[in-house]
Amino acid sequence: MHRALRENAMRNLRALLCVCLAAAGASLLAQGQAAPPAAGADTPSGPAIDLSGYWTPTMNEDGMERGAGSELADYGGFALNEAGRLWALSYDPSRVTLRNHQCDAYVTPYQMRATGNFRAWEERDPHDQRLVAIHWWAQVTEGHRVIWMDGRPHPPAWAPHTFRGFSTGKFVGNALVVSTTHLKQGWLRRNGTPESDQATVTEFFVRHGDHLTNTTVVTDPVYLTEPQLRSNDYYRTPVDHGTWLYACDDSEQIVGRAPGVVPHYPFGKQPYVREYSQKYKLPLAATLSGAASMYPQFQESLRTTTEAAAAALLQPAPGRPDEVSKAVDPEPRDGEIHVLPIRGNVYMLVGDGGNIVVQTGDQGAFVVDTGQGKLSDKVIAAIDKLSEKPIQFIANTSFHAEHTGGNARLGAAGMDPSLPGSFFVNSAPRGVTGFFSDPLRHATMMAHNNVLIRMQDANAPADAEPADTYLEEHRRKFHNGDTIELFYEPNAITDGDSLVVFRRADVIVAGDIFTTTQYPVIDLKNGGSVEGEIKALNDILNRTNYEHEGEGGTYVVPGHGFLGDEHEVVEYRDMVVIVRDRVKTMIDAGATPAQVKAARVTADYDTRYGSNTGAWTTEMFVEAVYNSLKAAGATPARAGR
Amino acid sequence: MHAAIVAAVMTVTLAALSAQGRGAAPPPAPAPTPRSGALIDLTGYWVSLVTEDWRYRQFTPPKGDYVSIPLNAAGRKVADAWDPAKDEAAGEQCKAYGAAGVVRIPTRLHVTWQDDTTLKLDTDAGAQTRTLRFGRPQGTADSWQGVSVASWDQPRPIFASPIPNRGGPAIKGGSLKVVTTNMKPGYLRKNGVPYSAGAVMTEYFDRFDVPGGDSFIVVTAELVDPEYLTTPYWTSTHFKRQSDATGWRPTPCTAR
Repeated sequence: MHRALRENAMRNLRALLCVCLAAAGASLLAQGQAAPPAAGADTPSGPAIDLSGYWTPTMNEDGMERGAGSELADYGGFALNEAGRLWALSYDPSRVTLRNHQCDAYVTPYQMRATGNFRAWEERDPHDQRLVAIHWWAQVTEGHRVIWMDGRPHPPAWAPHTFRGFSTGKFVGNALVVSTTHLKQGWLRRNGTPESDQATVTEFFVRHGDHLTNTTVVTDPVYLTEPQLRSNDYYRTPVDHGTWLYACDDSEQIVGRAPGVVPHYPFGKQPYVREYSQKYKLPLAATLSGAASMYPQFQESLRTTTEAAAAALLQPAPGRPDEVSKAVDPEPRDGEIHVLPIRGNVYMLVGDGGNIVVQTGDQGAFVVDTGQGKLSDKVIAAIDKLSEKPIQFIANTSFHAEHTGGNARLGAAGMDPSLPGSFFVNSAPRGVTGFFSDPLRHATMMAHNNVLIRMQDANAPADAEPADTYLEEHRRKFHNGDTIELFYEPNAITDGDSLVVFRRADVIVAGDIFTTTQYPVIDLKNGGSVEGEIKALNDILNRTNYEHEGEGGTYVVPGHGFLGDEHEVVEYRDMVVIVRDRVKTMIDAGATPAQVKAARVTADYDTRYGSNTGAWTTEMFVEAVYNSLKAAGATPARAGR
Repeated sequence: MHAAIVAAVMTVTLAALSAQGRGAAPPPAPAPTPRSGALIDLTGYWVSLVTEDWRYRQFTPPKGDYVSIPLNAAGRKVADAWDPAKDEAAGEQCKAYGAAGVVRIPTRLHVTWQDDTTLKLDTDAGAQTRTLRFGRPQGTADSWQGVSVASWDQPRPIFASPIPNRGGPAIKGGSLKVVTTNMKPGYLRKNGVPYSAGAVMTEYFDRFDVPGGDSFIVVTAELVDPEYLTTPYWTSTHFKRQSDATGWRPTPCTAR
């Protein structure tokens, strides 16, 4: 054999022997350990594909939209339903000048399409190297999403929503398949094309060499008629992009603007709606046709669409019955009380018809609202597990039954050790000042004085009535290491509403001023008003702050629904203001209540909040707004009773 | 000490190898054909979901509108000279229906196995047929659909472990990879955005099944064309599965 060939063969043999020994050695080491358990039911023990590294979007599709920005009234290729189309048409881009919208982040499906840099990395258990999570960082809006790979379940329906949502993943075939829930309201497109907080997303990540394709399938029962599929392509970048931050601070954008303004366009009055179609010589109906615009032969179908039919798409279809909410009901309705930790020593209790908040500490528990009272024993049991001390204080946000129904039972389960022997107790004849006279056998209940009056008017049992009431704007206590404040919101839902603010925990309990489940129950008969409701929502927003990019920070507990933050409140406030403005415009034009109802002034929100049955229907809400505005025109809203 | 470890390791290795060879060898199974060994099922009727580049795909954009495509100066020059009447006069109405453009046209696909080694993609828009042959390239050079070679693509470790069952979990599924060359010069968009005869297109067909029963094909394509493009041009195009031929209506190519 030629010497060079022989040396080469020997070198190869040595190399092969080394590889075999190394592999065999590794094999022995591995045999000496227990096989790692599967990370999830359908998840193999290792990743099918590795997403780790730096990724740059190719932007060869929809480059204009994803870069410079989308054009107004361009909704082509989206399966928008009527509500989605009307929501988009009503959207004025100037809305992002509002302080509470300036730092809105992108929801996941839009975030994945954003320009900027992306980075992925794995999180592994340090002891057994199981894949716990895949992290994905987006430069624009500093979007950090976590895809949990350890088989954990999604949170309950009453848990908070975030812009990135809650994601779990598993490997299926050559793809990482990701399921995302708990998203905030956001955009499908940056021109106001909406995605609701009820949307869920299925994603597929597939790598072909150094190319990554992320396919998102958005299912949104509120705004879409069928799943919306889009895909995003990235190429792997071998070096750190170096640019990862995108800090946002809000500020005054339009100085001198009247408070409470929400920029929007009335139905049929979007001034730029024809700009896009005229610029590109498209029929007006082209971008307004929803799912049909995604399919072949669409252009043919437009030939039979008249201008009048296209113009009709700019407004709610007349005569159509009101849509109803397609949102998931966050109330568990399983006969159990569920505890959601909010922050520190503050918890939300869900299950008794209205949300309950409990603060614990070395003093007795402080409870805000008591639910319907159907599950009071279980509420008390849940509080007993959270608090070593009995309930000392109960605060009511309003007199409505879903918030005071458990007063008597929870009150009787508590005690107020701060009162025995005090002047107030010793000088108070029993039955006159409620349970001040018997503090060792009852918690002290506080609320605005109008709650007491309304409950007395309704002949509520005396042991359910708050005895510690306040008359003007404010009541405060320092309890369990936190300042707790009750702020009076006159004439919002009723004339006795309070916001309860845990200052250090940074939690606001809103009662029915804010819910995630329905239109606000403006109770005109008991002193509510739409203007008061808007003021109350703005008062919440004046006390909230976000932690990062428009979310987190101050938590806001709704009277019903999932735990929110500033973003949920601002979307709700926007809705009330927009509906108020539409009704007011019609009133100014001389419309009757029947004409306002027929105009379907809530058509873009009904699939989220609407109801045709039950205690609070869409029709009742619109009627309340109408009558409230009419009454306000006649007599100014009262500051209190 | 080291010698003892080496001996033990070698013993274990040889034992493992010996165990593999123990007993009567079963008759060799016939090698799977591309059809029998298909990693994913792409057959059936599929319909375009035009949710991206919508205006450019559902309508013929104006001349010179080539946003998002990395055209070089030569490419822009060709695009700026687009004249559909000239294409019609030359009988080249199908320039936008070539392999690099046809999946972007709103269409229905009918995917079938022509034989055990050839997948056939028919489009109703433009009535085009692509033959995707496994193994040897298939097709006619200098034609709209060019010459395609297909393969099943599955993520694999670069080095297979010499120890049985130590190579990581087996991966099921994968992609159909198609490399197409020798295309007759055509259009990436109907408004005359060009690709050249030297363009090479690499496509990956992935199938995704989502909760609720829908299935989708995503075709991720990279077009490399040094004559007209400054960088590779990437698109990912979507099709939704249909249960039958509903809507299937072959129509001739149009230049406008």
